[in-house]
Amino acid sequence: MKTLLMTTAAALLASSALAQSITVGAANISDYLDPGRDHSNVGSQFYYNSFDTLIDRDHSKLEPEWVPALATEWRLVDDTTMELKLREGVKFHNGEDMTADDVVFSLNRMYQATFAPYVVRSKDRLANFAEAVKIDDHTVQIKVERPEPLWETLVSLQQVMIIPEDYTKALSGDPDVAEDGDFEAFSLKPVGTGPYAISEFVPGQKVVYSRFDEFWGDRAPLEQATVIRIPETASRITALKTGEADIVTNIAPDQLDLINADPNLKTEGSATALFHVMIMNVNHPDLVDPRIRQAMSMAIDRDLLNEALWLGKAIVPSTHTMAEMGELHMPELNTFEYNPEKARELLAESSYDGEEIVFDAYPVYYTNGVLAAQAITEMWAEVGIKGRVNVTEQWTGASPDLMARSWSNPMYFADPFGSFGVMWAPNGPSEGSGRFNTDAEYAAIWERFRFSEDVEARKAAYVELMDRIKQDPPVLPLYRPFESWGMHKGIDWAPQPGHIPYVLDFRAGAIALADS
Amino acid sequence: MTLYILRTLLKMVLTLFAIITLVFFATRMSGSPLDTALGDGLSAEDRALMIEYFGLDRSIWHQYLAYLRGILEGNFGLSFIERRPVADIVAERIWPTLQLLGSALALTLVVSVPLGVVAALWRDSWIGSAVMGLAFIGYAVPNFVIATFMVLIFAFWLNWLPVVGNGSPWHFIMPTIAMSGVLIAALTRFTRNAMLDVLGQDFMRTARAKGLPETIVILKHGLRNAGVTVLSVLGLQIAGMAAAGNVVVEAIFSWPGIGELLVSAAIMRDYPVLQFGVISVAFAVVVINALTDIAYVVADPRIRMAKG
Repeated sequence: MKTLLMTTAAALLASSALAQSITVGAANISDYLDPGRDHSNVGSQFYYNSFDTLIDRDHSKLEPEWVPALATEWRLVDDTTMELKLREGVKFHNGEDMTADDVVFSLNRMYQATFAPYVVRSKDRLANFAEAVKIDDHTVQIKVERPEPLWETLVSLQQVMIIPEDYTKALSGDPDVAEDGDFEAFSLKPVGTGPYAISEFVPGQKVVYSRFDEFWGDRAPLEQATVIRIPETASRITALKTGEADIVTNIAPDQLDLINADPNLKTEGSATALFHVMIMNVNHPDLVDPRIRQAMSMAIDRDLLNEALWLGKAIVPSTHTMAEMGELHMPELNTFEYNPEKARELLAESSYDGEEIVFDAYPVYYTNGVLAAQAITEMWAEVGIKGRVNVTEQWTGASPDLMARSWSNPMYFADPFGSFGVMWAPNGPSEGSGRFNTDAEYAAIWERFRFSEDVEARKAAYVELMDRIKQDPPVLPLYRPFESWGMHKGIDWAPQPGHIPYVLDFRAGAIALADS
Repeated sequence: MTLYILRTLLKMVLTLFAIITLVFFATRMSGSPLDTALGDGLSAEDRALMIEYFGLDRSIWHQYLAYLRGILEGNFGLSFIERRPVADIVAERIWPTLQLLGSALALTLVVSVPLGVVAALWRDSWIGSAVMGLAFIGYAVPNFVIATFMVLIFAFWLNWLPVVGNGSPWHFIMPTIAMSGVLIAALTRFTRNAMLDVLGQDFMRTARAKGLPETIVILKHGLRNAGVTVLSVLGLQIAGMAAAGNVVVEAIFSWPGIGELLVSAAIMRDYPVLQFGVISVAFAVVVINALTDIAYVVADPRIRMAKG
């Protein structure tokens, strides 16, 4: 009898533990996990549960509000130096204490990068950051080249999350030296300080989070969260119905009713902080005349695309801006508009002579991508542009033959620099791919936009940048797609407004399970 | 005999060498991992840096020779994306695929051989026609259609069977049926035809004349002789299935197998994974072919004489 009771008690305990565990069916799972080298939409799902930055923001709020994380306080010592006091008693998942050395190592692996993937990642957003220096065991200083208007924003980036120095260095080769092999090995056995340790990682297939009892902050609400890959949408929805998954990601708008019709299921969604965009090659011989590209842009009725493809749930922007950007959010600008009459006029004035304009689109990568491309070429036809959709798996964005294609401009961090600024910087990825040109004047405006310490000056410069884009357009932001997650009704989870796109935040306050 | 086997083996090695070469150059012509792994675009300087990081800065001949040397040393390289040995990655994925193929093979044999025999014996009655009709339909319906309908009925509506992964025996039911649908149809037809060929042979008449019971005649003399043809056909079907047929089924059931791996490697242009994956599958096909050839010779003295 005693045995029976004990077994029953054990079973009860096990089931209560089970009740705190969830399975997430994700469309994609990273092939590596390193917050430093990653800035993909697939990767951004995974880091926030297991890693911390020095400064964090309150992700329940849309407007930036900085909160202490691994640093408890911070101040500017002078124009180019920030001093941060480190939280004491922080442990990494492998049991080591977090020290100033770990912080300096983590920051300098990006600020003074030698590993090629870090170099690439740090240059586009952290180029102004010179180095991190240890002052004492609980104090570090970060030094920048020029006065930095975006201190907190850039200290709270995913790329500068804190990782353990000794552990990482010992992963391969010489345990006292940081080699490429160490960082490559780290991305298969990641260790951080967050509320969940990554207890199992099978690249491309599975990530298992386990509650980390020695976490410095609020205790993780879940005992365990297992993220498995379910590539097919129909299979993800079925898995939700059969109970094999408690939450599923990436549900297209036309599938929402299927889930919401089930009394046990619901969906949560938001317009993701990312633009689906159309890019146009300013250097293609047939498109050199900016009036042709203005016409291509003005011919597109983006509100209609939103209604037809996103049930009106997407957000169509008037300029390259997002509400998350706080004071730099400038919806009053009217950079991109639908004006078919004007498009016809511009076309008539231009050198356009009925040449076929090819729109390249990935077959599945962007939800509704091919449908949008088809609708766009139809809208072009309305104003007299002969368009053709070319569905291809190839990234043609760096090809001199590119005419137009679908792409995305994510918000890597909440500032125009984190979205437009990364993609359209002088010598940035767009210019480097040969489909966008900048000149000394553009570079000078961009400098004022990036480095002016006065917000109004930054805004004024951004207005000028948007004007340049309007006059000689290389890009048209179509909309912020509406991204949805399906889940059981007993789960209280929704994407937090203050995150970059796709973050699966299971920290305290972000998720709760019903007791049943 | 030995000479014949040696010649077959040599042929096998040459075929593999040709495949390795073809795969090496074809993958490189299909696009660059820079554009997929770093699809946001890169400045020219960063591009050069990443090309060097991936080891794609050396001439293609240098890369090719280095790759061949690696293979001879048993080193198939590191995945561009995961940065771990491709052999480890493929090893992780090949076992689930083999399990699925094995269960599909078993189901196919259990179902289609008796059906084929029945269809041959009752070839003039409605039973034979019904079996062949079913086989015809089975052959015409693609596995993803079978899979989708099963998912809809047994998971989505009835909630009887799981759809994700390979965690339990229950997980095998739907993928196995989906995988074997076409195989069963094909093998039923082959078994029937092989049986029909055999039924008219002199030794069958002799067996009956000896007064053996009909069951023994059919099973021992008929099926055994038809079996050689049936098995060789099955080998090739399975090899084909390993190469391509499982991709869709694995995707639908989130089966962590090699088909899914190859598709994502192809999309990401992860050359080392793609190369090793295709080479492994090609190796399986070539080996099965060679073994079939050799088995023929061992089994049938007439082929041995002819091929000398």
